[in-house]
Amino acid sequence: MDEIVAEYIRRTVLKIPRDEIKTVLQKWGFLSEAQLQTINFCQIKENISQDVVQLCEENSAGVKQAAVLDIIYNHIYSNKRVWSVYQMNKTGEETDFFDVTDFKKKFKRRLQSALTNVTINFREYEDNAIWIRIAWGTPYTKPNQYKTSYVVYHSQTPYVFISVSVLKRNLPLLCQALVAASNYHDIHEMELRSHSLNSLKDIVFKRYSQNFQSYYPRPIQERNVGPENSRIIQENRNEKERIQRVNSEVFGDGPQPKLEFARYKLETMFKSDPQMNVLNKKEPFRCLVKFSSPHLLESLKSLAPVGMADAPLSPLLTCIPHKARNYFKIKEKKGVSPRSFVSP
Amino acid sequence: MEPGRGGLTPDFSLAGEWRGKMEEGKAYSPHGVFAHLEMLEARAHEADVKEEEAKQQEEKLARLKARVQELTLQRDELQAKVDLQQKRQLEKEGVASDPAQPSAQAVLEWKIKRVKAMLQVFCLTGISGKLTKQGVCFCISTAYEGTYLDSYYLDLLTKPEVRILRHSIPIFIPLEQLAKKYLQTDIRRFLSVLSNHLNAYAARKYQADQLQEHFSDQIEGTLQTNSLCNLLVFNYNVPNKSKTFPFNVRLLYGDLCSSIPTKVTVSCTWISPLCSALAPHSKKALE
Repeated sequence: MDEIVAEYIRRTVLKIPRDEIKTVLQKWGFLSEAQLQTINFCQIKENISQDVVQLCEENSAGVKQAAVLDIIYNHIYSNKRVWSVYQMNKTGEETDFFDVTDFKKKFKRRLQSALTNVTINFREYEDNAIWIRIAWGTPYTKPNQYKTSYVVYHSQTPYVFISVSVLKRNLPLLCQALVAASNYHDIHEMELRSHSLNSLKDIVFKRYSQNFQSYYPRPIQERNVGPENSRIIQENRNEKERIQRVNSEVFGDGPQPKLEFARYKLETMFKSDPQMNVLNKKEPFRCLVKFSSPHLLESLKSLAPVGMADAPLSPLLTCIPHKARNYFKIKEKKGVSPRSFVSP
Repeated sequence: MEPGRGGLTPDFSLAGEWRGKMEEGKAYSPHGVFAHLEMLEARAHEADVKEEEAKQQEEKLARLKARVQELTLQRDELQAKVDLQQKRQLEKEGVASDPAQPSAQAVLEWKIKRVKAMLQVFCLTGISGKLTKQGVCFCISTAYEGTYLDSYYLDLLTKPEVRILRHSIPIFIPLEQLAKKYLQTDIRRFLSVLSNHLNAYAARKYQADQLQEHFSDQIEGTLQTNSLCNLLVFNYNVPNKSKTFPFNVRLLYGDLCSSIPTKVTVSCTWISPLCSALAPHSKKALE
């Protein structure tokens, strides 16, 4: 077995938390159950990884198997990477009979014709997600297995999820190959980024909770009402209920997609008292506002009930899942443009 | 020192001091003594005043507490009166009306209940809607052969023109194309076509899932499909005497509004011992 492959497998195993190594190896399926039984998973990771490499040696693991293990690792721990969303367009209206084998063939052919030194591996998942792992080389060097990009594509959708790799110069090649393989015309990057791949999928596939009005009987949701103390009279019960109702309309009742930040780039004019003589030059006041949170949308949802903000919240904050973006550019209001906003 | 006892009676402890001062020297003028006495008097007076204040505060507090209790009692009485009156009112109405002839209120309530039930039942027809502040919200329910599947929502704005505000339709359904074609001109047709698309998709997906579930022992490997479920490829084995023949099936659903395939390709890769030297495999394609 290649030394590079052995080292790569060893390092991949070391990345996995010790308690989960066995499950990941089982998912990989390259080592038999009998072989896995021989490994002591209670020893230190260093030793576990050595044992795994030993067994892989016995089974003559190659680059392909190592790559598959890497895809599995990144699929389970996808939140360790930052994912960007790209959107593709096409003009034709024909029905697309998406054939996965066809897609893989076209993608490989297109990418390898532009750059021969690449390792391309695919893995399909139950939810029609196709994971592509690309290890980049250069026209003169072999592919470096540590310089990888990951692409997740759901068939017959115009969205592609790409994990930003260090080698930005290969991005155009990657995009071209994707467009060719999926029968689209062009591709552009959306202003939507997050660590949580599933949340990005929820946002663009419209799988997140939205409150739609209908007569359809829905089960009454149990609200956590604590034991009512009859001596406590809620003076602002009406207001509380109104806030709850407005919040529910805007955010829906279910869990929100997980985003870590929202960035607003302001290019608006600073408005002040003309006598104050501040920034008299008619230049836009450049300012960057960034909201960060482990779970941005949930925290925005709880602002009004907690009393830190008025309900309804500013549409700039609540439109994030609807507009499928968390990077905004705010300019002066010129006519009726939905994206512009006048600064206070 | 006892407060409240003003006057010129010196305290015992001060007597010594006083005498001491007197004895120290006749340098102290008689005013010193009086000043001292005045100071003592003032001190006693202050203490008096403070005590009075404290007493007044206590009395005030007690009065307020009593007042609070009084008011609470009054509130409870009034609340009880209101409740009683309400009860009496209801009883009056109940007693006065003939059980065979329900009151106008009850009739209205029954009518409202019936309409609500009708609206709920309407959802089972597949397309139902509810008016919203800005327009209307449609709910398209899907079903296949008696099993109800997912529901999808479409929130429409009606002014200034009909357009989609938001929706929960899967991304691979050609919603934009349909909207461009029919939404402005014929909304009934738009909803009908969209409903057909969604029902067909749900049916195809349901069929694929059922196939996987119920025939998992006969199918080799997993079903290959795509998001729209308009292409289905799978392999299965047919045992015959001592041999098993591997079959490959490829179902193509050309019509997105239909849950029946438009093209079926069944092929068998079987190496015949007779012609293995000449042709690796024989294929039979059926259309």
